[in-house]
Amino acid sequence: MKKYAPSRLHSLGQLRRVVKVGDAASGAVRTALRPIRALGFPYRKPMVPKGVVVPADPSKLGANFETGWARSAGAKAARSVVTNGPMRAFVKVVASPQVVGLDRLADLQRLDETPAVIFAPNHHSHVDTPLIITVVPEPWRSTLVVAAAADYFFDTRVKGALAALTLNAFPIDREVTSRKSSDELRKLIDDGWSLVIYPEGGRSPDGWGQEFKGGAAYLANRTGAAVVPVFIDGTGSIYGKGMKRLKRGTTKVVFGSPLRPIEGESTRRFNTRIEAAVAALGDEALTDFWTARKRAAQGNNPKLTGPEYNGWRRQWALAEHRKLGRAGVRRRQNRRWPDLG
Amino acid sequence: MPRPGFVLEVDRSTPPILFWRGENFSLEKLPAGRSRVIYPPEPLEALSDIDGAIRNALLNPIDQDPLATQLFPGMKLTIAFDDVSLPLPKMTRPDVRQRVIEAVLDTAAAAGVDDVHIIAALGLHRRMHEYELRHALGDRIYDAFHTRGMLYQHDAEDHDNLTVIGTTDEGEVLEINKRAADSDLVVYVNINSVAMDGGWKSITTGLASYRCLSFHHNPETLQNTKSLMGHRHQSALHTSVWRLGKVLKDHGPKIFQIETTLNTDMFPSPFEFINKREWEWTAKDRATFLGTTKSLNRTPIKLARKIFHGIEGPHQMTSVQAGETEAVHKITLEHVHRQQLMEVHGQTDILTLGIPFVSPYNPDGVMNPILVMCMGLGYLFNMYRNKPLVREGGVVIMTHPCYRDFNPVHHPSYIDFFEQVLSDTTDPAEMSRKWEKQYAEDEWYRHLYRTGNAYHGVHPFYAWYWGAHGLQHAGKVIIVGGDPPTVRRLGFTPASTMDDAFEIASDVVGRSPTITHLHVPALLIADVQ
Amino acid sequence: MSRLVFSRKPARFALARVAGSIMPGAGASFGPLAVEPDELLPLPTPDWVRLRPRLAGICGSDLAMIDGTASAYFDPLVSYPFTPGHEVVADVLNADGSAGRRVALVPVLSCVTRGIDPLCPACATGQINLCERVAFGHLEPGLQSGFCSDTGGGWSHEMIAHPSQLVDVPADLSDEAAVLIEPTACAAHAAARYTGDETVILGAGTLGLLTLAAITARSTDRRGPIVVTARYAEQKRLAKELGADVVCASDELPRWVRSASKSLMVGDQLTCGARHVIDCVGSTESMQQALQVVAPGGEVQLVGMPSNVSLELTSLWHREVAIRGCYAYSHADFQTAIDIIRHHDLARLLSATYALDDYTDAIAHAASAGRRGAVKIAFDMRGK
Repeated sequence: MKKYAPSRLHSLGQLRRVVKVGDAASGAVRTALRPIRALGFPYRKPMVPKGVVVPADPSKLGANFETGWARSAGAKAARSVVTNGPMRAFVKVVASPQVVGLDRLADLQRLDETPAVIFAPNHHSHVDTPLIITVVPEPWRSTLVVAAAADYFFDTRVKGALAALTLNAFPIDREVTSRKSSDELRKLIDDGWSLVIYPEGGRSPDGWGQEFKGGAAYLANRTGAAVVPVFIDGTGSIYGKGMKRLKRGTTKVVFGSPLRPIEGESTRRFNTRIEAAVAALGDEALTDFWTARKRAAQGNNPKLTGPEYNGWRRQWALAEHRKLGRAGVRRRQNRRWPDLG
Repeated sequence: MPRPGFVLEVDRSTPPILFWRGENFSLEKLPAGRSRVIYPPEPLEALSDIDGAIRNALLNPIDQDPLATQLFPGMKLTIAFDDVSLPLPKMTRPDVRQRVIEAVLDTAAAAGVDDVHIIAALGLHRRMHEYELRHALGDRIYDAFHTRGMLYQHDAEDHDNLTVIGTTDEGEVLEINKRAADSDLVVYVNINSVAMDGGWKSITTGLASYRCLSFHHNPETLQNTKSLMGHRHQSALHTSVWRLGKVLKDHGPKIFQIETTLNTDMFPSPFEFINKREWEWTAKDRATFLGTTKSLNRTPIKLARKIFHGIEGPHQMTSVQAGETEAVHKITLEHVHRQQLMEVHGQTDILTLGIPFVSPYNPDGVMNPILVMCMGLGYLFNMYRNKPLVREGGVVIMTHPCYRDFNPVHHPSYIDFFEQVLSDTTDPAEMSRKWEKQYAEDEWYRHLYRTGNAYHGVHPFYAWYWGAHGLQHAGKVIIVGGDPPTVRRLGFTPASTMDDAFEIASDVVGRSPTITHLHVPALLIADVQ
Repeated sequence: MSRLVFSRKPARFALARVAGSIMPGAGASFGPLAVEPDELLPLPTPDWVRLRPRLAGICGSDLAMIDGTASAYFDPLVSYPFTPGHEVVADVLNADGSAGRRVALVPVLSCVTRGIDPLCPACATGQINLCERVAFGHLEPGLQSGFCSDTGGGWSHEMIAHPSQLVDVPADLSDEAAVLIEPTACAAHAAARYTGDETVILGAGTLGLLTLAAITARSTDRRGPIVVTARYAEQKRLAKELGADVVCASDELPRWVRSASKSLMVGDQLTCGARHVIDCVGSTESMQQALQVVAPGGEVQLVGMPSNVSLELTSLWHREVAIRGCYAYSHADFQTAIDIIRHHDLARLLSATYALDDYTDAIAHAASAGRRGAVKIAFDMRGK
């Protein structure tokens, strides 16, 4: 028999007394409200006339999700706990990242006031974001805003709030970059927040990369912030798009030298340069620095977007490509046999 | 704005002065009224866009075509670089050498050069460990070149890969690395820590053979090197090296010399107090000093060494110039002087030197007694121009524990040198006659030098010769706090305290001698008038 | 008239061992050694003579006995109670008790002294040190005078000896020099194997120094250096004086030998080394070091008396190294010894003498001779 702790409601008499008080209180409220209930509009919601359509409220979801609170001091502190605790542990267990090229950021890091930068990594997996958040060096890590697809991360309130709090995600529309979101991103950079923008606009559908969209280049052009090209290798085979479960593996993150738009360079050209830089890093990650630099000089680093042809040959080439990278040395998986009863 | 060097006349209100004592410090009171302390100039502002400056130097070299136009597909390109004997302490990543070589490689990649060798120009120094190469060159270069056998360390004993370029009028034979000699272009990447570095010395010592080095690394030349860091005409060493340089210029491969200078911002937080003047120490500095020295007293020496050798200095590049060796070196020296030169008036009877935990010959190793001598009389004593800070026949007082401790991996021949040679003689000329050949030709040392991480067998002699001029000039050398039998073996006098040392010195310089102290970190050139 | 007597008292023996391990030489106070009045020893045969010792040295083997560290091997070779002392210079007593000629004693008790006839093959060729009958014949067991209850020993005012044991001391040699004849004969015997190649002498105690002296006094053909390890400053000085090319501390030895023999190293083992290593210490450490520095096919000669040692012998097997004992001398070595003593003026190696009654001091001094800057300590019986 369960024993309850003694409480003030222990005796039936006490309970009765409480019920009595409650009844009295609700009665008083009801009495007080009675006159208003009798009153109609405007004290109450209006009725809608027949044949009239009320336009829907502008949505507070998607690109309009309000995330300003996630950058307050309190949220920042909470996020720092999450980032350096469970998230780091998760990334270490799942992705075992090897990070190279941080020395290329040393010059910026050494400055008295470290400037905001835009990290532009390739994108294969949801693991990319926690991975990049945990490997970006300070002081950028604590001031990192991740541009996230509004339609995916901010489609419900809870999901949006979680993304905003833990990842410091900021909603952007992946189809058309609205004036509003680009203005706000600029403002963020001006306020000293650094950005992670996946220029591919979303995770790779087939394991090969996608063409870079101009968002990062545009923002850099407008704000003067440097773009740091980043290549992430191996996350595609940990939790690529369409995978149903996480497979532990190893990853490599290569940081490149910060890029700045050259005087008079168009956003499109700068974007091409960023894409080439990430491709060169990709080459460096899978071969070595010298090979990558030589091919970069010739402009023939293997494209992130993979071979031109389609179909099974493309998948076949992907397997070969992955063998070169860190994903190729993935820890041996326990083979799972079908359960045949 | 960094302040220039400063000479403090010690008076009664001067606080005790900071001395290095190996892996520790001490504060010593210097006598008022007749002592002076030389504070080196403060660190200059570093270049703001270092990579930009490097690119610019490659694009607009001095007295030569831009690097890009000197490169062509199918050529043999050799990049040689200074080893980790400098800078001290090692600089925070990325190292200057990495930056410069990456820029050179980018240019070479653009020009379609495939045959690139990167050679550590370490002369008779020890081969670097992998972690040291990675530190100097960065992981990218190491990973790309080392596995392909295109990054390696010069071997002064590999006679199949050495080649004679020519002979000077004085009969000195220039014999250097064959790959460098056969290259269409040699790019030399230098860090000019002190004024004696760089110029023709880079290749004619860094890539030379033992035979070639022995023409100027000998007691006679070094005794006649009256100012190692000063004017070239006072240095027999540099005169000889410049003669070899002329042979190299006339008969050797084409050379694209890249020289860099660093500021003297050598110690990071919390060790800033090392760089400061004592009366400017804040409460924090004093607390750090006390905490550091008190805890170091209780720290096992191995751990203390690990801590000190783990320090990475925040020093940064103040200049980079490329092109024709002599023209480049002239500008480099101007930059070195801009940072290090200061005027000092007159000599004194006594020179006091704090000997630190590191010298150019023990990066990540043990500061053994021979290196204490080399650092004191070879380096710090020589930090002058015109004439030494101490008068001829004066006394040099150093502070160092001078323990009898050697790193058997890095300095195997030093141990034997200490036990065999120094117990026989401390005279450079005599040891050169009696012992040098045996050490230079010892097969075991040669094996360790070529395959391990050991200095060449003859290197302890060179370290000793380095102090030959100081040894000749000083009437007496005293080591305060040194292990007495070890100090005596060096031919010096041990003293337990600075006051004892002054007392001992009074035999030579009388009862009220004048004193100069070189304040740490003593990276300066005192222009003694 | 008195003598020192070493008796068989196991409890005392054990005590001495404990005391000696704490403080070398302390076995003299706690062990079975005591002063007793002289007793007249019977002569085994009429041709034996009585001796009156003048000086008698204290040897390393005596110290081992006193401190209880000597090997049990000796037990059947010794007869108790005995008077120690085998480094003896003495006067032969005439029948009337007056002092006759001055002699040095050859203490080995071989077939001749034991009345064994025919002589064993070793004695027949004069190699009395290899005698096969050391515990037999009409004497009690005892490998030398000084370990035998029948003969007495040098640490007394009277002992007996067979005429074959006597070597006349030339008049120009002082007693102080003559007391060194016996240990020098040992050294001369060891030095006979000197080849002229690099040679290492481990230890610069009496034996080490005398061996060095024996080599340098006689050999003219020195192709390789002689390296001596010495622990104390005085030993180092003497070793230099006696003609060592290199004198170093034992931890420096491998490096010296390496550079002298132009050797490489594999692990701790020199690939080359010294052809001849003379170990005058006889400890595990010294023997192991001997094996470390000896050349392949070379020889390690044990001059110092080893006891139980524990050695890693793989290198001995692999490099075909010989370990060879070196015990005592033949008569010829005594003549050589006199030459060596003259050549180097070795009387200076006798550092101090004590009366028999002060035996604890004497033995303490001998046990810490190196540290106290001494070499040989002896008892002086000339006073009384």
